[in-house]
Amino acid sequence: MAKENSGAVAAARRKQPPWLWIGVAAAVVVLLAAAVLAGGGSGGKSSTKTAAGLEQTRPVTVIGTPLPKLGEGGDPAVGQEIPEVKGQSFDGTPIDLRNDGRAKLILFVAHWCPHCQREVPLLTNYLKSHPLPSGVDLYTVATATSPNQPNYPPSAWLAKVGWKAPVMADSADQKAAEAFGLPAYPYFVAVDGAGKVVARSTGEITTDEFAALAAKALGNR
Amino acid sequence: MDVGTVSLFLALLAVAAELATATAILLAVGGRFSPVLRRLGRQAVEAVGPQALALAAVVAAVCTAGSLYFSEVAHFTPCHLCWLQRFCMYPLVPILGIAAWRRAGRVRPYAGALAIVGACISSYHVALEHHPEWESSVCDPKNPCTLIWVKRLGYLTIPTMALSGFALVITLLAVSRAGNRLRPSEQPRSEVHG
Repeated sequence: MAKENSGAVAAARRKQPPWLWIGVAAAVVVLLAAAVLAGGGSGGKSSTKTAAGLEQTRPVTVIGTPLPKLGEGGDPAVGQEIPEVKGQSFDGTPIDLRNDGRAKLILFVAHWCPHCQREVPLLTNYLKSHPLPSGVDLYTVATATSPNQPNYPPSAWLAKVGWKAPVMADSADQKAAEAFGLPAYPYFVAVDGAGKVVARSTGEITTDEFAALAAKALGNR
Repeated sequence: MDVGTVSLFLALLAVAAELATATAILLAVGGRFSPVLRRLGRQAVEAVGPQALALAAVVAAVCTAGSLYFSEVAHFTPCHLCWLQRFCMYPLVPILGIAAWRRAGRVRPYAGALAIVGACISSYHVALEHHPEWESSVCDPKNPCTLIWVKRLGYLTIPTMALSGFALVITLLAVSRAGNRLRPSEQPRSEVHG
């Protein structure tokens, strides 16, 4: 009986035409050829310099005491003077974040972070109709930049969004982010005219919260 | 081949998987109302059913290879949801491979359960990509699940491709089961030789 069944199975196997596997193999070859001919388009990158000659990371120098990392509960950095952070924009223009006597908001973004990808367009649109008070300067730091991560390069992303504020390209080892105690992205630091931290915040915020941060920086609590 | 070409190839395979799954669903559902679709569905089951377990093993193997390519060659760090999907997909390769070889249709419920759990995780991961606020309002600097490493053809991200793979595995298991009903005489190898 077992031999009869064995023979039936073997016969059934022999009867199965190979067209199914040939068809599957042919389809895979066609799809592979299509992918090769299409050329992929988003292959691996290893340089942080784009075709336009913009460097996506730049050297950063920190002078002074870095701010403690923002954690849960109260913010120990409130009232502390910010360190002086000397860096450059993507095109090499010097940008310094320091106590220059003016209130400022500093926004740290990572090009690959989906929350930053939502926050920046939101603020871009808001700032078109609600410019910051004249006493507050807005700076951006593009940090955690990596050519192997999505939405690279940050210079192209911010230009595409229409972001107007000056952007410092953080160093590859994220010195600027560390100096300001960044825990996650996006990250906001509000600094008053005396160069002292008045508030720090991480994560997406609303336009009202953004305006409130600017007011805090100006001293209008 | 660069990462872009390989990811496009995997995306095209995912589209093929989605078309195959959609066709199977159409024949299964439409067959309840249309004699023509019922006949076509029966012919498809007769043709594919005997090989469905082996095809499912191949699908799982391709998904596994693609996943390993993204992490080991392209250096896309897997997030924890990616790992959970891997836990569901990787075992399917030996389970379905051995089942296909031994004609052990009895593994279908176990493989199916793994694939369904994997598909649920993939679905949540896909939804999370569209609603990053569900995870958190911040990006963890380490490796958030909301990070989209690859997006091909406008919608195919890595979890979307995984979902397509799981869906095709589930479909092939269903076809295998239907085929077994049409050909009840086929015995598992262990029973044939035992």
